[in-house]
Amino acid sequence: MKRIAVVGSIYKYLSHVQHIADRFLVGYPVRGTWHRPDMKVVSLYIDQKPAGDLSGERAKEFGFTVYPTIAEALRCGGDKLAVDAVLIVCEHGDYPRNEKGQILYPRYEFFKQCADVFEKDGRAVPVYNDKHLSWSFEKSKWMVDTSKRLKFPMLAGSSLPVTWRLPNLELPLGCQIEDALMVGEGGSDPMDYHALEAMQCMIERRKGGETGVKSVQMIEGDAVWKAGEEGRWSKELLTSALSRSDTPQGLTVQDGRTQDLVGNGELPKLVKNPAAYFLEHNDGLKTTLLMLNGAVQDFNFAARVRGAGVKSCQFLLTPVPNVTYSACLVDKIEEMFATGRAPYPVERTLIVSGMLESCLTSKLEGSRRLETPHLSVRYQPPKTSQHAVA
Amino acid sequence: MRVKSNLSRRELLASVASAPLLAGAQSRPARPKIAAITTTYFKYSHTQHIVDRFLEGYGWNGTHHHPPMDLVSLYVDQIGDRDLSKDRAKRFPSMKMYPTIAEALTLGGSKLAVDGIVVVGEHGRYPRNEKGQTKYPRYEFFQEIFKVLRSSGRAVPIFNDKHLSWNWDWAKEMYETAKELGAPLMAGSSLAVTWRTPSIEMPSAARVREALSVCYGGIDSYDFHGLETIQCMVERRHGGEGGVKSMQAYRGENFWKAYKEGVWPRNLAEAALCRSHTLKPAREGFNDIMPTIEDMQRLVKDPVAYRYEHEDGLKSTMLLMSGLVRDFNFAAQLDKGIISTQMYLPMPDGRTTLANFFSPLVNGMEQMFLTGKPTYPVERTLLTTGLTAAGVESLYRGQTRYETPHLSIRYQPTRESTFWRS
Repeated sequence: MKRIAVVGSIYKYLSHVQHIADRFLVGYPVRGTWHRPDMKVVSLYIDQKPAGDLSGERAKEFGFTVYPTIAEALRCGGDKLAVDAVLIVCEHGDYPRNEKGQILYPRYEFFKQCADVFEKDGRAVPVYNDKHLSWSFEKSKWMVDTSKRLKFPMLAGSSLPVTWRLPNLELPLGCQIEDALMVGEGGSDPMDYHALEAMQCMIERRKGGETGVKSVQMIEGDAVWKAGEEGRWSKELLTSALSRSDTPQGLTVQDGRTQDLVGNGELPKLVKNPAAYFLEHNDGLKTTLLMLNGAVQDFNFAARVRGAGVKSCQFLLTPVPNVTYSACLVDKIEEMFATGRAPYPVERTLIVSGMLESCLTSKLEGSRRLETPHLSVRYQPPKTSQHAVA
Repeated sequence: MRVKSNLSRRELLASVASAPLLAGAQSRPARPKIAAITTTYFKYSHTQHIVDRFLEGYGWNGTHHHPPMDLVSLYVDQIGDRDLSKDRAKRFPSMKMYPTIAEALTLGGSKLAVDGIVVVGEHGRYPRNEKGQTKYPRYEFFQEIFKVLRSSGRAVPIFNDKHLSWNWDWAKEMYETAKELGAPLMAGSSLAVTWRTPSIEMPSAARVREALSVCYGGIDSYDFHGLETIQCMVERRHGGEGGVKSMQAYRGENFWKAYKEGVWPRNLAEAALCRSHTLKPAREGFNDIMPTIEDMQRLVKDPVAYRYEHEDGLKSTMLLMSGLVRDFNFAAQLDKGIISTQMYLPMPDGRTTLANFFSPLVNGMEQMFLTGKPTYPVERTLLTTGLTAAGVESLYRGQTRYETPHLSIRYQPTRESTFWRS
């Protein structure tokens, strides 16, 4: 039975650690059964213990130990690495923000302490890192490079690429994408990251795979609507993405009516501070994320595919508290822990971590366009679909 | 499609008549005119969900779709404090409100002047009977509609939201009369046509041994949705639907006794629960955990089961477990293992602001109004109407077994799937 160390920020009800680690303790629903992983959480490092901390009672009930340092958790109190996999979940908790608005979660620091143990003890095991790798691309790249250097499998990222899609859309491998647009909502930098990764898992399937991003620009406010009028982002794709939404605001909330939010002119009234994230890829593809707080409360994607027209879907974020989408993610984490192979490339999360950082830099620097030669991250998508289909 | 039941001589003659009594459904206008006959129109009422989609359009196939038809007349039986019909009539002058059903259908003239009729007899203040059934006036609405069709000598397609009637005899009469007049008829729930997670269909001609749904809500209401959840799947089994011969309902203590004794397969109930997105956490501090039966007993105050046996031996079970789930989940035991899915119905005023599961329902109506042919068989809903009434009857008779020879309803499913996938 594989032994798992959990390295987390906080272990409170509805924190990411609770969502993810608990599934290894009590099982989770997947493919129509309640699956109980043939793995055991043996140790836990938890960075902060605010009111409502569950780490002590979980340790007692499920028979694992909470250690005061990451190294001790990985060595289970001994002098050598004593686990077969590491689950790093550093989301939620009290951490400062920088001037770009990024929350400075110590994911790099957590990861580095794990890598130090691997290096000193001469053995490395699979690591999952929840959400983006680090707020800094440089640190993120170091994390990925270290996993290659020490030859351990690594998986990272959001639940959005693996959750249900409405409809069950997958773009054909090798398709030619002419334009792509994602609509998201929520605060930066947590929710824009989710939206960017959802778009990335779709567009990476295009002909040639991902070739990297050569420039980014983030704009806000009325400039976003103006850019739409000028055709910098596609109203047709926005209409298509919003046609997938179950949560239009405004008149729908008022009296239940359906709305064509693009056609009826309501968008500018609903969205006080829109944001557009423009990404130009090395192969010429241009994509856009629109963060439209106030318009909808779900995540929707649309792309124009040569020969197939416009394709769109909603990434289904199932309700709180169950957030069953995180069961889809744990299924992938467990697969890597069991097989030693990441079901999809960590480079996806690497490039998205970098896109987000650069977009926020652009915003800080007066929304100027930034060349991003450092984001020439090339990778190929997984051949088989990895989202929930069964 | 054929319905075997204890028909009177007159009904029998009508049902075997080779040609419909009325003309009209054969040639279809390019842009049909539609009348909506409804009980009440307020935010998140079924009328609002359905009629608004005709007026405002809705998201469909990745765009904002406007039905290629005009909803030109509206009858609302009860105009309450929260009424939206006047607002809608004002904003959409092409739709006129009429004080009677006959006028709505004739547009104030003397003859039927529309090409399709939508009946939404859900919500509004109507009395309940001693069995707990709300006496929504769907049958009464249909009587008025049939009068106009007869006097005009023309039949047009009719869609009826939800079950045909709370009263089985009336439902059967509605079905028989529509058939007699040659009016294409569709009915039913969104559950049969909404998204599924996963997006799966019952394999064609599958050998199904047991089928089960775990749902929520009350009797003569969401039980109907739970029954349609099952029926839209099991009708695709080997031989198609052959009808139902008996019904047994369980409630309260009897429900838990039956659950524990395995009257219905517990593994199927668990498989269905594993498709839920809303499984109530049975333990504080955990967000997603499989409950024990003891946990369920604590969480579910008024459980109801309808277990029924089909003519071909299939046994189906619909479980209402309010307090445990807030969604509709299906599982079936086939010869080749278990299949399961969720029929996705995210209720607004909570998780969503739109009830988009009405979109495939309205789209199904549109297709009938354009082609003159029901998009899927009304016999499905005739059967689930009868099953709903039979479940209520079994409960009313002290949870006793209720023989249902009148539900020998045989029909074949559509070849193509009709649930939402695009």
